[in-house]
Amino acid sequence: MKSLNLQSMAKCATARVVRLWILGLAVAGALTTLPAATPAAAHGERSQQAFLRMRTLNWYDVKWSKTELNVNDEMELTGKVHVFSGWPQAVARPGESFLNVGEPGPVLIRKSAFVGEVPVPRTFSMDVGEDYEYKIVLKARRQGRYHVHVQINVKDGGPIVGPGQWITIKGDMKDFTNPVTLLEGSTIDLETYGITWTYIYHFFWMAAATAWILYWFMTKGIIVRYWQVKAGKGRELIGQDEKRIGAITLAAVLLAVLVFYAAANREFPRTLPMQAGLLTGISPINEPRSTVAVQFKGGSYTVPGRELRIRAKVTNNGKEPVRLGEFTAAGLRFLNPEVFTTRPDFPDYLLADRGLSVSDSNPIAPGETRDLEVIIQDARFDIERLSDLAYDTDSQFGGLLFFFTPSGERQRAEIGGPVIPKFQAGATL
Amino acid sequence: MSASTETGSPAGKTWKSKEEFLGCVILTDWILLVILFAVLLGSFHIHYMLLAGDWDFWIDFKDRRMWPTVTPIVAMCFAAAAQSFFWTRFRLPIGATTVVLALLIGEWINRYDNFWGWTFFPINLVFPSALVPMGFWLDIVLMISGSWLVTALLGGLGWGLLFYPINWPVLAQYHQATEIDGVLLTLADLIGFNYVRTGTPEYIRMVERGTLRTFGKDVVPVAAFFSGFISMLVYFLWWNMGKWFSTTKYIEIEEV
Ligand SMILES: [Cu+2]
Repeated sequence: MKSLNLQSMAKCATARVVRLWILGLAVAGALTTLPAATPAAAHGERSQQAFLRMRTLNWYDVKWSKTELNVNDEMELTGKVHVFSGWPQAVARPGESFLNVGEPGPVLIRKSAFVGEVPVPRTFSMDVGEDYEYKIVLKARRQGRYHVHVQINVKDGGPIVGPGQWITIKGDMKDFTNPVTLLEGSTIDLETYGITWTYIYHFFWMAAATAWILYWFMTKGIIVRYWQVKAGKGRELIGQDEKRIGAITLAAVLLAVLVFYAAANREFPRTLPMQAGLLTGISPINEPRSTVAVQFKGGSYTVPGRELRIRAKVTNNGKEPVRLGEFTAAGLRFLNPEVFTTRPDFPDYLLADRGLSVSDSNPIAPGETRDLEVIIQDARFDIERLSDLAYDTDSQFGGLLFFFTPSGERQRAEIGGPVIPKFQAGATL
Repeated sequence: MSASTETGSPAGKTWKSKEEFLGCVILTDWILLVILFAVLLGSFHIHYMLLAGDWDFWIDFKDRRMWPTVTPIVAMCFAAAAQSFFWTRFRLPIGATTVVLALLIGEWINRYDNFWGWTFFPINLVFPSALVPMGFWLDIVLMISGSWLVTALLGGLGWGLLFYPINWPVLAQYHQATEIDGVLLTLADLIGFNYVRTGTPEYIRMVERGTLRTFGKDVVPVAAFFSGFISMLVYFLWWNMGKWFSTTKYIEIEEV
C-alpha cells in the first residue's frame, strides 16, 4: 500500500474548502431560519371572525396599572371577563382555559397570575354564563414600545384576545434580572440560570461528534472508500484495528454519560417531575344578580353606515332608575355621551366615546318595562372588523350592556342574537 | 490527510500527475462532505421540527413520558437512513453521528437566532435535546457488528434507553422545586410560566397523563423501553428508505 503525503495538494484545496464551509453554514442558517418561530402577532385579534369574538369572552374593566416603566419594574394587568351564555357551537367550551398575555415575545414576563383568588400558572376551568376577575403581574424585561393584550387560550378553541394597550419600556434588557427562590432556600436568577452549563455540555458532545466524523473522513475520505467498496474490498476498510478504535470510543462515550449522569444526581439530589393539572372550581365574581333584565327583540346591521340597531325589551327590577351607558363587544366599548360625560382612560382604538345612542334617553323607572332601540355606530366597528358579521357563517352578534343608576351603581346585562344585514345606506329597522 | 491508490482507479492520462489526481479527489471529498452535511441538516431539521416540535423546543415540555418517547423515535428515521447510505456505500461508521450533529447545529442556529435573537426567549427555555452519544452508540454498534439487523435490535433499543440519561445532566438543574403564590412548580414549569408564549398555552403540555402512570414513579424507564422498541421498527423502515434514496439510476441511451 502506497500512501502519499498530500500537504502540497491540500494547500490549494484549503482556501476553497474554507469558502465552501462558510457557504454551507450560510445555507444552514437560511434553512433553519426560514421556518422561524413566529412571535406573537400583535393584532391577530382582528383576523378572527366577528361572531366568535363577540360571543365568546366579553372583556370589561380592563386596566393596565402603568403604561410606562423601566426594565425590572412591575405592573398589573387586571380586569373582568364575562363568558357569553350563547357561546358559539363552533368553538370548544372554555372547560380548559389558560390565562395568557398577548405580546410580541416575552418583553414583559409574567410573575404571577390569578383568577379570582386562585393562582393560575396552570390551566383552569370556566363556566359559560359566569363572570371572572383576573390579575396578571408583569415585569418589564426588554426596552421598546409594545402592544400588550390580555388573552385567554381555550383548549380546542384557540386564543381569544382581549383589549391591548401600548406599553413603553425604558432601560436595557441587559439589566433585567428574574430572582427566584428555590424550596431549598437559595436564590437564583432564572434569566440566566444554567445557560452556561447547557452550552458547555452541548458543545462538548458536538465537538466529540465533529472529531469522530473528521477522523474517519480524514482517513481515506469518501470517494476512495466508495471505490474500495465497489471493488469488493469493503471488509478491509473496517478491520480489527478500526473496530478496536470504535470499541474504545464507545467505552469512553458511555463512561462520560455515566459520569455526567452521576454528577447531576449528586449535585441535584432532590428533583421533581414537572407539575401540571387542571384547576377546577374557581369561583366566579360574587355579585348580587343584575336588577336589569334585557330581552333581545331583533336587530339589523347597516353595512355602509357601520350601524348596529338593536331592539330590546328592558325591565328595571331595581330600586333606582337606570340609563343605558355602554355596549361592549370583542373588547370595543361604545359609550353613551349622555351618561359618560368624561372620557374614561382606555385605549383609543377600542373606545368609541360617542358610539352609542338610545331611542328614548329618559331613565327607566324602577318597575318599568320599556322597548328600547339601541343604536351603535362608529368607524371602529369597521376598523376592528366587526362589520364582517354580515359575512359570517353565523350572523349573530353578542355583547354586554351596562346600565347606570344616578348613584353610580352599574348593572350589566348580556345581549345577543341574529341580526339582519342591510346593504343600503339609510335603511331603518 | 492521506489517501492511497491501491484501488487501482483510472489515474490515467487525464491528469498530469498522481498528485494532481489525488488533489482532485480530496477537493471533491470536501465538496461532497459540505453538500451532504447541508442537505442532511436542512431536511432532518424540518423533519424533526414537524414531528418532535414543541417537545424539543421548550424546557417545560421535556417531561418524563412524551418527550423521551417521541424524540428518539423521530430522530431514528434520519439516523437509520444515513447509516444505510454511509455504511453500505462507503463503510463509514459516521452516519448517525453526522445527522445528529447536523441536526444539533441547525437547531442551535435556530434557537439562538430566532428564539433568542428575535423573540428574546432565554436559552434555558429553548435549548434542544442532546443526542450525540446516541449517534456514537448506533454507529459503533453497526461498525463492530457489521450487521444492520443487530444494529436495529441492539442499537435501536440503546438509542431509546440512552436518551433520558444523556439529557439529564442539563435537565436536572431545572427540575429543582420552587413555589409561586403557594403553587409547587419545577424551575422548568416556572420558566415556561414566566416567559410568555402567546401560542403555547399550558394545557397543550401533556405532562404525564394516562395509563403509564400505573408503573408508579418509574415513568422514564417504561417510556424509554417503549421508545427503544419503536426505534427498532423505525430503523428497519428507514434503513431501507435510506437505501432507496442512495441508489443511482441511469437512463439507457436507447431509451432516450
Ligand atoms: Cu395588539
